[in-house]
Amino acid sequence: MTSNLIQNYITTKPTSAMNRQPIKKQEAPKKPMPDFDIQKELDNRTFIKPLTGKGRLINGNIFNAPLLFAQDIVYDAKALKHAVSGKANDHELGKLNDLGLLLGGLGIAGYLFTKKQTPVTKGMEFIGLASFLGAMAIWPKIAIQLPAYLIHGVNVQKQYEDSFGRRKPFYQDPQFLPWDLYTDKEIDKMGDRMGVPKNIPNRREFIQEKMKKIAVQNNTLWMLTAGFATPIMSGLICNLTEPYLSKYFDKKNNKSADKIINNINEYSKKYEYTSVEKELEKILGNNLNKKLTPELEEQITSVISKYINPITAKNIEKDLKEKVFGEPVYKIQDDSIKEVIGNLNTVFKKRIPGADEEFLKTVIPDENSIINALKNSELYDKDLSKTQFSSIRQVILDLVSKNVIEYNKTHPDKSKDLKLARTLVMSNMTKNKDSNPVNIILQKVKSNVLNKDAVEKLKNVVKILDSFNAQKFTLDEYALKKVGAAPETVIANYWNDVASDLVKILGFTDKEIARTRIDRTLMSDLLREKLDNIAADKSSYEKVISKLVNKISEINNKINTQDMSVEILNGNSKQSTYDNTVDKIFNDTADKLRKAGFENTAKAIAGADANDSLGTLKNIQKMYVKDRLLGVKSSFYRIINTLDLYRRIATGANNIPYLNGRYIEVQEELIELCKNITLKGHSSDYAIKFYMLRNANPDRTVGSIKIENGKVVYQYFGKATQTVDIPSDSNFYKDAMKIMYSGEMHPDTIAALKEYSIKPEVINYRNKMLEIMGKEQYFAKPFHMLGDQTLNTPSNIKFLTTGIAPDELLFKSCQPIYNSKKWIKIFGGFGAALLGVTILAQFLFGKMKTPETTGKKK
Amino acid sequence: MIQPVNNIKHSINFCAEPERKEQNSKKYNHDTLLGNNPLTNMRIGMDKVTNAFTLYPAKGLKGSKNANFYEFLTMGTVPYLIGSATLMALFNYANKYYSPFDKVQASKVGQKMALGVLFYGIAKSLSKKLISVPVNMLTGVDTDRPYAKVIYELPDNVNDTDITSIEYHKVFESVEFPRWDLLYGDQSKGEKRNFRYDKIAKKLNMGENLNDSDQETKPRIKEIIVKSNLAKNISCYFWAASGVALAFQKPWEDYFKVMTFKFWKPEEFGKSLKAFGKSFIDSAKALYKGEGKGISKHAGKILLGSSLLVSALGVINTVAGVKKQPKSNSDIIKKDEKHVVS
Repeated sequence: MTSNLIQNYITTKPTSAMNRQPIKKQEAPKKPMPDFDIQKELDNRTFIKPLTGKGRLINGNIFNAPLLFAQDIVYDAKALKHAVSGKANDHELGKLNDLGLLLGGLGIAGYLFTKKQTPVTKGMEFIGLASFLGAMAIWPKIAIQLPAYLIHGVNVQKQYEDSFGRRKPFYQDPQFLPWDLYTDKEIDKMGDRMGVPKNIPNRREFIQEKMKKIAVQNNTLWMLTAGFATPIMSGLICNLTEPYLSKYFDKKNNKSADKIINNINEYSKKYEYTSVEKELEKILGNNLNKKLTPELEEQITSVISKYINPITAKNIEKDLKEKVFGEPVYKIQDDSIKEVIGNLNTVFKKRIPGADEEFLKTVIPDENSIINALKNSELYDKDLSKTQFSSIRQVILDLVSKNVIEYNKTHPDKSKDLKLARTLVMSNMTKNKDSNPVNIILQKVKSNVLNKDAVEKLKNVVKILDSFNAQKFTLDEYALKKVGAAPETVIANYWNDVASDLVKILGFTDKEIARTRIDRTLMSDLLREKLDNIAADKSSYEKVISKLVNKISEINNKINTQDMSVEILNGNSKQSTYDNTVDKIFNDTADKLRKAGFENTAKAIAGADANDSLGTLKNIQKMYVKDRLLGVKSSFYRIINTLDLYRRIATGANNIPYLNGRYIEVQEELIELCKNITLKGHSSDYAIKFYMLRNANPDRTVGSIKIENGKVVYQYFGKATQTVDIPSDSNFYKDAMKIMYSGEMHPDTIAALKEYSIKPEVINYRNKMLEIMGKEQYFAKPFHMLGDQTLNTPSNIKFLTTGIAPDELLFKSCQPIYNSKKWIKIFGGFGAALLGVTILAQFLFGKMKTPETTGKKK
Repeated sequence: MIQPVNNIKHSINFCAEPERKEQNSKKYNHDTLLGNNPLTNMRIGMDKVTNAFTLYPAKGLKGSKNANFYEFLTMGTVPYLIGSATLMALFNYANKYYSPFDKVQASKVGQKMALGVLFYGIAKSLSKKLISVPVNMLTGVDTDRPYAKVIYELPDNVNDTDITSIEYHKVFESVEFPRWDLLYGDQSKGEKRNFRYDKIAKKLNMGENLNDSDQETKPRIKEIIVKSNLAKNISCYFWAASGVALAFQKPWEDYFKVMTFKFWKPEEFGKSLKAFGKSFIDSAKALYKGEGKGISKHAGKILLGSSLLVSALGVINTVAGVKKQPKSNSDIIKKDEKHVVS
């Protein structure tokens, strides 16, 4: 115990007042109530009583949790009010620390929210905060409170409310426990649960000691484990939550995109930048009927082209010059002639050797002579075109030449080079064609004005372009949400979802994932083995192909082919809503621009006419969507085709027409090539018509290839010691292409595809591969072609139609899966072990030597 | 007369064997006011951390009857420090198992996260000085003044003679029970009994040479404690958030490239320190300037501004009220003058 301060103070340190004044012995005052006995009064409790305690235990459960939560909020608000006015108590100040923690957490989450780009990553910042605070609260409940209650029957996290309404943990301070809040019955019940004998002396005190011991031990255990448990639990909660959040935002994003395409006009209002119109109006208002200087022209052009791409902007500039600003008109007057004289003075002085003041005065004609000469030639104060600049120069030149000749006559000793003077007047000083001393002034005397007609034209055009921009941005937003090359777009989520499910569908084990994620070659070998095994067994093939088709076909639910489609795969059928909308918006805009005289801009936007689709903005708008869809769909349809090929070989290699009649070794080479190309071929492999090291002198045995238990057993392939690529064997190439992409798919695959909308697209994919790749000519192997006619498909289409190789796709998919699993294994394992140790430790708690029994049962 | 129990001064032996008189080696034998200086604070911090990881868990796990609230609160350091380390590990430990590209990408985030944890703790701790120092300067109330408290425990067994333990508290850690007694001067050393209260009274514009400066200042000191505690509790988390935001700036990536803790390699370590300084300055600028547009551009400014504002408001709220001259009649009477009550 600490010293009694008051007593200590009185006995050892006299007050200052006592020091200052001598102590006088005072007479004891007379007692007002001589018979008053304080002890008697206290004993009778008639004089003073302690207030009745209002403390109570809190029985928290899920039913009163919301009420307790609400009460907490009210309490915190009051605590804040008290603290601001300096009247809070310790308990209230303690609660405000929690408020600060929450505000700080929100500050962190809020800041990081602004740094993230996508809804899920932004959302995860707040989930991270909530999970951390949640873990802080949950860990003591599930790892401390619950096990302790189950093992000992004691709630070590019990709370009580004191007489002042302050809610506190019962076992917070083991030296001051309000045991009086528990009734004897409750204590006895817990004693029974803990196995305390009934007939021991002071049973209640013993039970209380035991409860206190258990609580102290558990509180310590809580402090020792919470540091590990809270962050790990928080991490695990985030890991579990992220997929759900991702799905939620995916649906939300997709729905909002669907709303856009169906309400394009309504939606585009948010992109209508009236600021451009206002800015232009301001410029036009300030410059109406004023000279159209190059600076003003540039200003107007740049405002109109503000949100336009550079190529279209160039065309706008061209149209503005031709149709609005008009051909430049120049007018020469007094001021400009003075400037021309000044310029000639400077140039002559600088460039003609020995040009003194006298020479300049004599040679350079004065203002009146020039004006008169120009008037005579009808060039003065008249609207002139730029082509008439040379006539003005000629007039000046004639005057200068005449003067130089005169000067040379009068000053033979100082005669000057006439040719040089003529050159200086007529030609340019630098490479810049407008740097001629006369031209440079003429440029400035442009007399075009920004008239009312031009203003009206500009206003009209800016309105058309504003409306077009708003609709185009809306289309961009729709396309981005659906198929954008960015995280968390519909197609990106779909890709990630299918890619990770593929690993499950194909039955990769954790060990296989760990091994193959490092090296694509390892993945190729393993995937080949897996596909062979799947294809060999009917039931496993049916199971895998149906799951695969089911998963892949989700694309058409997420991105409806009526809304967005790619002709290559859907067979040039009806145009999609997106394409129709693009056509309408771009063609309408082009029509309006044509009416306004902006032919070049109209052509850049929508082509020469509605059917022109080359090199236009309209085409770019459509192609972006098609390219993205083609790349993704082809990649997944390729997997279906690959698995189908393996199945066709496993079940009927000897029935494949393109193998029949060949040597067995060549048949085996063909099978090997087809399996490899479908599994890991890139578009470059198709472009070079497959490079394969083969046996130049194959075994001449003709017959059937050997298939055991659904797997091809090579009898010859791989045994040749010398192998080469055979560029002359074009049939080998042609047959390989046909085996891979022509003919009917396997009935099991057809059965799996039957119900799904992707079926025609998968079939088209095969046909297009045959056509696009097969009809491509390669100079080194000119006869490796299907058909006679070359089809020059753009390389991006060939690349996108080929899609990603399945082994590469799985190799890439396994990496994040491995990372995630590894993380969970490390920290999840640690968390589980921690939970186990925390629970087990509690079996050792509360051990006390039980007092000897009295022999009597209480 | 009740005397304070003091087994050191009075050689009281609680041992059942009276002949055993082991001298207690504790540094203090009574509650002692300590100086608020870096050295003392560091010593107290070390003592608390050491006990939090060793002595108190040992007592707690045994369910010692002497375990108390102070020990429980001090053990709060354990989850705080372990939690920080675990958070750092959570974002970095598994990276070594990833493929090289993934490892680089994960490490970029992980290292920033670890730095964020570190800055959170540092900013939270240091920012409290932004309240306590100005409050001390303006009011004379040192809200962080520590003292050593001597605790007398129950002996664990008959041979347990060392029944004292030292706890480190702050004079004003409880607003309801501040340790006023420790602030009185020791007249035996020539100190004026109320010299600390006199100083506070003077700073609070209550006058000089008051007869009872302790009684006059106590209500105001309580108000200062409450308000400064509120300011500290709220502002420290704002600064902690600013610390995390600072750690998430791009320039730190330059530091991570040369980061090393191998102080035995002076050249590399020097470079690392230099890079830290540069990255710190660049990151602070980047946090202030922001990037992108809209709220993203200004988020850093808002966070830093809010932190500064909360601290400033905290100090103003603490100081303004208590330095105002009271308006009530009783308080208008000058305390340092004699008055006759009729």
